[in-house]
Amino acid sequence: MNKIRNFCIVAHIDHGKSTIADGLLESTGTVTEREAKSQLLDDMDLERERGITIKSHAIQMRYKSNAGDQYTFNLIDTPGHVDFSYEVSRSLAACEGALLVVDAAQGVEAQTISNLYLAIDAGLEIIPVINKIDLPSAMVDAVKGQIIDLLGCEEDEIILASAKDRRGIPEILEAIVNKVPAPKGSDEEPLQALIFDSVFDAYRGAVAYIRVFNGVLTEKSDLKFFASGIKYQAEEVGILGLRKIRTKELRAGNVGYLIANVKDVHETKVGDTVTHFKNGAPKALPGYKEIKPMVFSGLYPTSSEDYEDLREAIEKLRLNDAALTFQPETSLALGFGFRCGFLGMLHMEIIQERLEREYDQSIVTTLPNVEYYVFTKTGEKLIVDNPSEMPDAAKIDYVEEPYIKAQIVTPSEYVGSVMTLAMEKRGTYKNTHYIDPTRADLQFELPLSEIIFDFYDKLKSISRGYASFDYEFIGYRESDLVKLDVMLNGEPVDALSVIVHRSKAYEYGKKVSSKLKELIPRQMFEIAVQASIGTKVIARTTIKAMRKNVLAKCYGGDITRKRKLLEKQKEGKKRMKQVGNVEIPQEAFLAVLQLED
Amino acid sequence: MKKDLSIYIHIPFCDHKCIYCDFYSVITLEKVDSYLKNLLTEINFWAEKYKEQFEVKTIFFGGGTPSFMSPEYLGEILSEIKTKFFVSNDCEITMETNPGTVDKAKMIGFKAAGINRVSIGVQSFQPDELKFLTRIHDRKQAETTVLNTVEAGIENISIDLIFNLPGQTKSQWRRNLEAALSLPIKHISPYSLILERGTILNKMVLDGKVELQDADYDADLYDLTIDFLSKNGFEQYEVSNFCLPGYKCNHNLAYWRYKEYLSFGTSGHSFIGNKRWWNFSALTFYEQAVQTKGFAVSGEEELTEKQMEDEFIMLMLRSEGLDPDQLKKRFNSLWFEQNKVFLDELISNGFLAGENNFIKFTPKGYAVCDEILSKMY
Repeated sequence: MNKIRNFCIVAHIDHGKSTIADGLLESTGTVTEREAKSQLLDDMDLERERGITIKSHAIQMRYKSNAGDQYTFNLIDTPGHVDFSYEVSRSLAACEGALLVVDAAQGVEAQTISNLYLAIDAGLEIIPVINKIDLPSAMVDAVKGQIIDLLGCEEDEIILASAKDRRGIPEILEAIVNKVPAPKGSDEEPLQALIFDSVFDAYRGAVAYIRVFNGVLTEKSDLKFFASGIKYQAEEVGILGLRKIRTKELRAGNVGYLIANVKDVHETKVGDTVTHFKNGAPKALPGYKEIKPMVFSGLYPTSSEDYEDLREAIEKLRLNDAALTFQPETSLALGFGFRCGFLGMLHMEIIQERLEREYDQSIVTTLPNVEYYVFTKTGEKLIVDNPSEMPDAAKIDYVEEPYIKAQIVTPSEYVGSVMTLAMEKRGTYKNTHYIDPTRADLQFELPLSEIIFDFYDKLKSISRGYASFDYEFIGYRESDLVKLDVMLNGEPVDALSVIVHRSKAYEYGKKVSSKLKELIPRQMFEIAVQASIGTKVIARTTIKAMRKNVLAKCYGGDITRKRKLLEKQKEGKKRMKQVGNVEIPQEAFLAVLQLED
Repeated sequence: MKKDLSIYIHIPFCDHKCIYCDFYSVITLEKVDSYLKNLLTEINFWAEKYKEQFEVKTIFFGGGTPSFMSPEYLGEILSEIKTKFFVSNDCEITMETNPGTVDKAKMIGFKAAGINRVSIGVQSFQPDELKFLTRIHDRKQAETTVLNTVEAGIENISIDLIFNLPGQTKSQWRRNLEAALSLPIKHISPYSLILERGTILNKMVLDGKVELQDADYDADLYDLTIDFLSKNGFEQYEVSNFCLPGYKCNHNLAYWRYKEYLSFGTSGHSFIGNKRWWNFSALTFYEQAVQTKGFAVSGEEELTEKQMEDEFIMLMLRSEGLDPDQLKKRFNSLWFEQNKVFLDELISNGFLAGENNFIKFTPKGYAVCDEILSKMY
């Protein structure tokens, strides 16, 4: 066990986590250069396209140290996005050390800091690495300063690397041997293995990625999963090389996989502890949390006959995604669909994109929202994840909404603009810390609902792309929230209802009605667009009746062309959603996302 | 009993290309003679196939500018048709013409060749508008062409006018209509200016050199047109067609009543049974095809029963109105039942007029005809 090193890499997006990983894999001969395409660890197309790691995996390497000893390294990859911060924390919990990779040209960013804090909280030994030192824009000394300030380390502890041409890789390998502690724990103790990730395999069911803390996990043994409480038998156990390598047992300190005939990933929950059914450990490892979706949105099939197909597609995605929740819902405007819960906006976008690309589903999505706690005058607590289910204002005592702590790293000249943005978003300023004289790390508390759509884009645009952002959930707080409804010719369009802060309701109502006026095509009659709180109309506008829509000429016998035009128009109409007598194009349901200032 | 047939002959030659025109045309005359030969070949080819089933009820020379050709040219085509097909004695034979291309003597020649209806592309009576449209004539020439035609013994005259030109006011447009009705014409086709792909005008608009007036203004001008013409005794029998009693264009009616037709020449469409086919548009392809095969089909489609029903409904509603019994007889259709609620709503909102179970668009309905059709089953 003293020859095992379990570690991970923490970095801001694009700071070179994957190239460092590739460099380690190659240098240890785990993969050849040819196999190492680029960014080996990200094996989902979508991940590679977006240049981010969504799901974590692990890989084992053998390394002979300069002192001549043979070591086993387990590199555990961590998801690189704030939506998946719980998964990050579980991956970190499976390690004893972390490489902190900082881009020499970019310096310390928000995600560097937040992930570093998670790693420090998890008690990991940190090895600082400055990557991309070969870049012409590299500012190695400045970044060194930032890291020293952040970590309190010595300058000579920082490894300078250029993973692209493998510079610094040997130093990193030695540092892993010398600085990352060997795992503690014992083969003799009752089994305790942490699930830090799980994936779905169409033939084998759920495959759990685990770190054994105590005991020995052997095939054929009966197992208990603490969170689900269900009994399983270990069917196959092994380590993770480039592929799964069956070893039949995993000893304390090691990392590997477990297949136990579990039908989907909802029973191999990330953070859960596996032990033996008989003579098992009395306690689970600390830190398990039930994953809870934070952002909710209605997903509807474009045409109602595709409802069952959409259900099947979502169910298939859910097999591999413990964080995705869904339940059927009905909208007067959109018909039958599903209310889905996501970890965050990125997670939501990924699911939507996978449904469209991999499952060929054409979907209409409603405006995403957070989950509200509504306390009624009768003392009940209601959990509302769909604005149209908000009870009548007269029945509500008060409402609570989720808040987050935001960490924003920005060049100091943009501090003012960042402050203004955070205030617009109902933020509370907490404190500022200067990473170096030119860059500030600002902390705010903000309602989650204010950051889920455009906060990040706005932050990027006010800081010319330089500010970075990360956040964590801190709890529910009371807010003065109201439900705002949209009516077309007097008919409420439930899918357009939103919950907004009272101070923003009037402005929002005005924007949403004028945006709808822009997006709903003129029809054969006039359409009144109204935004209201309860029975009080706070904004209204009118879409005038269409007065002319006819092709003047129909001669020469080219009726084929005319018919095709008509067929196309009919197709277009089919994709519209009907509320009362008004036809609403799908874009209108997302219009609320694109409200400009 | 023979079925009715309409024949369209496309004459692609013009002396220049107008900015708004998207019809196939060429502005060189070197191919005029070979084109005639090819037309005759094509006529022979199709006559052999279809002669026995049909009696020709209408013939239409469109373009291009048919009147750019000599009377003998059109005469030769007509006599070939009359020899190879059964042509009815009261066959309507229309020629499109542009003012400034025909004098009185030439018009007498066309009359002698068999032309009995003339459609004149006047487009406007106002100098600035004509200049914008790149027409070669002026108001005087337009008027003279109408009068020459009458004097040549052809009284069945139609003129085309274009409205909603950039900057055109309501009173300017009204003056055009008044000028038209001061002439001895029987039929008028006022079109709203359409931006067609590939036209010079389209490019001018894309380049921001010309700004079109909006759809509401277009609708105002259209309302004005219908109102003005109906007060002056003209009946609307299609979206863009108005006439004095007894002067509907039989050729166009044949399209709209879903009758069968053959077309000769570049880009023409033919429709027989459940088949529609169309010729090559480019003159070189057309010539090559006719010379090697005797015909010049570049594409065809076989219509399903449903497509035919859709077309039938679309065409009838665009023009004279729809007779449920006729629809039922021809297509065994449930259309009326399926659209009952919508049709009733259209009637009560003044888009459709329903009499004795016969439905026809009101002026308000014609204006949004495509919108309504796209909402039907």
